Amino acid sequence: MVFAKHAARVVACFAFALVSACATRGPLVPANLTDGSSKPSAELSSTPFFPQTEYQCGPAALATVLGASGVPSNPEALVPLVYIPERRGSLQIEMQAVPRKFGRLAYVLSPNLDAILAEVSAGRPVLVLHNYGVPLFPRWHYAVVIGYDSAKDTIVLRSGVTERQVLSARNFMRAWDNGKRWAMVVLRPGETPVHADAERYLEVAASFERGATPADARSAFDAAIRRWPDQPVAWIGRGTAEYRTGNLRAAAKDYAEALRIDASNVGARNNFAMTLLELGCPVQAREELSRIDSTALGAELRAAVVDTRQRVDLASEAHAGGDPPGCSALLN
Amino acid sequence: MRVSLWRKSAIAVLSVAIVNMGFMSTASAAIVDTSALVTTARDADLSAIRAQLDREDVRAQMQELGVDAAAVDARLASLSDSELRQLANDMKNAPAGGDVLGLLGAVFLVLLVLELVGVIDIFKKVP
Repeated sequence: MVFAKHAARVVACFAFALVSACATRGPLVPANLTDGSSKPSAELSSTPFFPQTEYQCGPAALATVLGASGVPSNPEALVPLVYIPERRGSLQIEMQAVPRKFGRLAYVLSPNLDAILAEVSAGRPVLVLHNYGVPLFPRWHYAVVIGYDSAKDTIVLRSGVTERQVLSARNFMRAWDNGKRWAMVVLRPGETPVHADAERYLEVAASFERGATPADARSAFDAAIRRWPDQPVAWIGRGTAEYRTGNLRAAAKDYAEALRIDASNVGARNNFAMTLLELGCPVQAREELSRIDSTALGAELRAAVVDTRQRVDLASEAHAGGDPPGCSALLN
Repeated sequence: MRVSLWRKSAIAVLSVAIVNMGFMSTASAAIVDTSALVTTARDADLSAIRAQLDREDVRAQMQELGVDAAAVDARLASLSDSELRQLANDMKNAPAGGDVLGLLGAVFLVLLVLELVGVIDIFKKVP
């Protein structure tokens, strides 16, 4: 047993020695993180721990971050969703997709240690991909960052069968660099990452929308509006969630706001017209549609515009008297 | 007079029914998903054509790689078109996070063999 432990240590050193060529100097955990929002040290000790069974660090790490975001889970339940037997592991794409099934958004952080530490500081553990192998013989491993200490220059992880693994920041960075600096955080609808890119967040929210309840989708886009009020897609997303909940007036307002920001946004105008139609304002709806130039649209968008036009035409014929007086108020 | 009243009311009822039919059947079909708005028009066209091919491709690769056939559909369902694309492209080579123990075992074996044949001498007794 002592022999085995000793050997494992030797082997670990050996593995690190092989990948240490690009090691950097100086403390890696910044003592004062740039925006001042991160604490000098943090540890999310209530994060659940699931010791992995053979090759299944993916399901274990995923269960860890899902659990921390309030979704009770366990690796056994996630194996059928992310594990690929012949690859003896789990792929990043599927790790990103699975949280959606549980009403959570997965956001891939920008490749900086700061972004990871800021999340931990904000109370969210971060799933990372490490590579402990060598270029010709990669060894990929998922682990979860749950803490750091800038005074000691250390990172704390839930990893494999180790409940509390403390790595020097340098060793962490080596393995993370070799894993191409991939890190992912799981968000509740309504949360945005500390260091977030508007476009990337909105893409994540748009993929989330497909399988989410309208209430969850609404929260996700609502958070985007609070943070990036000048992004039309954020307003469109919330508008569509309102529409699907049946709040047509709120939907019309959000679409109108998106169009105020970007008058050329065909998706917003199509959805706005559809909403106006359902609010009993076919004339206004037709007016909106007439402003759409459908020559350069993608297939999905073009089909939707054609569909909306047909509905509006049908309704206008049955409704020849013009829109009721309340309709013009919806345009502002 | 009676006929025309009858006709008028029939037309009114029918037109209401037709309008409602339009609304009720697929009321949200004309609403565009937000995901269609975060990709460019060209991407959207491509993905419409490719998504199905990608889906079949990923399904086949997953089964080949040992994923239980019953689970494949649920896994495919949660993927967006662009995610399907990426998986179809390099499912066999993309990093698959598994485990470090396998490596340690392999390196250990190599070291052990080298030790036994006398090339290296690292497993000394702890004093």
